[in-house]
Amino acid sequence: MSNEVNTVAVDAPKKRRKIASLERRKARAGWLFVLPFLIGFVVIYLPMIYESILFSFSKIHSGVGGYTLEFVGFANYKDALLVDPDYVQTLVKGLQQLAFDIPAIIIFSLFMAVMLNQKMAGRGVFRAIFFIPVILSTGIMETIASMDMNQSAMEEGMDDGSGQSAADQLVSSMDLQRLFSSMKVGTEIVDYVVTMINNIYGIVNRSGVQMLIFLASLQSISPAIYESCKIDGATAWETFWKITFPMITPMILVNGIYTIIDSFTTESNLVMTYISNAYSKAGGRELSSAMSWIYFMIVILIVAVIASILSAFVFYQRKSE
Amino acid sequence: MNAQQIEQKPVIKRESKNKIRVDFERTPLKERLKARFLNPYFLGKIIWWIFRMVLMVGISYIVLFPFFTKIAGSFMGPNDFVDVTVRLIPKTPSIDIYRGIIEELGYWAKFRNTFVLSLTCAVLQTLVCALIGYGFAKFKFKGRNLLFLLVMLTMIVPHQTLRLSMVMGFNYFDIFGIVKFFKGGGIELFGYNIKDLGEGVASFFESINILPDEIKMFKYTKELSNGRTREDFKLILKITENGINLCNTYAPMILLSLGGLAFKNGLYIFLLRQFFRGIPDELEESAYMDGSGTFRTFIQIILPLSIPMLITVFMFSFCWQWTDQFYVNMFFITEQPDMLVNLVGIPASLKKDYAGQDLYYSAIRNTCGLMIILPLVVLYAFGQKFLVQGIEQSGLAN
Repeated sequence: MSNEVNTVAVDAPKKRRKIASLERRKARAGWLFVLPFLIGFVVIYLPMIYESILFSFSKIHSGVGGYTLEFVGFANYKDALLVDPDYVQTLVKGLQQLAFDIPAIIIFSLFMAVMLNQKMAGRGVFRAIFFIPVILSTGIMETIASMDMNQSAMEEGMDDGSGQSAADQLVSSMDLQRLFSSMKVGTEIVDYVVTMINNIYGIVNRSGVQMLIFLASLQSISPAIYESCKIDGATAWETFWKITFPMITPMILVNGIYTIIDSFTTESNLVMTYISNAYSKAGGRELSSAMSWIYFMIVILIVAVIASILSAFVFYQRKSE
Repeated sequence: MNAQQIEQKPVIKRESKNKIRVDFERTPLKERLKARFLNPYFLGKIIWWIFRMVLMVGISYIVLFPFFTKIAGSFMGPNDFVDVTVRLIPKTPSIDIYRGIIEELGYWAKFRNTFVLSLTCAVLQTLVCALIGYGFAKFKFKGRNLLFLLVMLTMIVPHQTLRLSMVMGFNYFDIFGIVKFFKGGGIELFGYNIKDLGEGVASFFESINILPDEIKMFKYTKELSNGRTREDFKLILKITENGINLCNTYAPMILLSLGGLAFKNGLYIFLLRQFFRGIPDELEESAYMDGSGTFRTFIQIILPLSIPMLITVFMFSFCWQWTDQFYVNMFFITEQPDMLVNLVGIPASLKKDYAGQDLYYSAIRNTCGLMIILPLVVLYAFGQKFLVQGIEQSGLAN
């Protein structure tokens, strides 16, 4: 009798401890897997952020074996915002451009992803072509493209030497304006669409990753849902707005944030170019540091605002267990 | 044509002894075609098909046209650029531009260096990001969400913002003052050095000077201009009290890759996390049942399953490192790196002062660009099917 009681008393806590240890072991394994990032973040990234903020508040005196910092308070920020003649202007211009680009990229990449998801002849070829810019038109190629003069020269009938690329002239904006004005829509929308079409090359170039992400999320929608829609007699248009669109709203959020960050941080961005020009000027390193922190704060603010707006519309499908 | 007529009995005729002919009352061919092709549904489909084709071909044209003009320009002779009648087809085709770039701009040396750096970084980034992504996808631990937010943060803060501190950080590379300590610099905390405490303390800490002033690696014989040879080292790291000078080497980029902090690594981690999430947990559970550890499960079960996604990430990181000019030019301060991104230039033998100079030089620069991305085109031709495949399998919406 006493034996039995003993075994029960010993077994129960032992069992509980074992379960806990498995969980703990898994948690430990998780830490182990993310350890490279953790180490990198603490050892390399955090000091960098700290130093960058510190630099933006100080003046650097480089010596032979190192450098010394002189704390100057908000002087660099004041220089950037008040003294520098073009910074604020560039900032505003950059933000305007962004407000225009981001919806265009999202809409275009979603549209193209829906297209590329349909069954059609040559789908593989089109997919391969559409993702070429993601891989090839980055970094140095962007720089080369910006210096390119041959493209417009080779385009037939437009040897005007304005240096604009062929795609810029794809649609005559006059034609479009006439078309839209007959449709009685606001001039803002007309301007938007015209600029969007004239910028199509840039937009195609920058929407590769977004297209990939949309394509993936389109693929993951269960075909059974579409089938039942079809049986119920829904048209393709209705299916898109009632099924496809809500199902990919989480990815619209992700892509929205990604696009903002991507367009903010590419080197071809107006503000980025301005900052990196400031960096290479004499004594402009601290100033460029301050400038980029101002810029970054604005980015963060915009990301936060847009993320909170978008996440109100996001639809999460509840997984049926 | 009502239903009754169609349901008429077929007329059966005996043609010969063994043959009969059955005549059905059939709708005429014309009517049938009309019914099939002249309805709004079919017309809508045709119009949609045409619209889609035009759009696809149009955008493909937009994507490919810059490459066409670059290729066309690269085969043109200098005189084609003054000739107005020449558009895309050169009249005096030549390969001088290619020859000039390969022979005079040192293409192969740059190619080799870029290849080594890109391959190292891409392999490291793919593996490290896979590890990190797997950790975020499959394990629950305290602070996971916060940590993932930090990953996102590293993606949000543009590296241009950190440019100055990156250069400084790697120019005087030191981890928590370890190098300083072993170089006799004492311990510094919040601007106060422990050596300031007194003469004896200072001399004690200065006696801990066990690191050499220079680390030299990869000996090779350098040919000097006067014909003699001299022994030199490919990698010289100078160590001072302020830290190791890692600039002008590949070390900064490799260190960033190891920490999952390099260019767009946040995106890779995100993509891989989504992919690993799509892999059913039962797979790992059965592996654990059979006594496999977490790491072994990852290597032997998970990684082989995720090859398409790994190739996608590898391709991104390889290509983006290949064409990157920001990091390479940032970390090579005192000397121009011998990389493909610095290939762009005009070979001396092609320098020419004439009316078409601007266009000609532009064509030469474009050809440099083509030469730079040529290896990537080959890679893309092989890897592009994995690009979509990898993403498709990831089931990103869940």
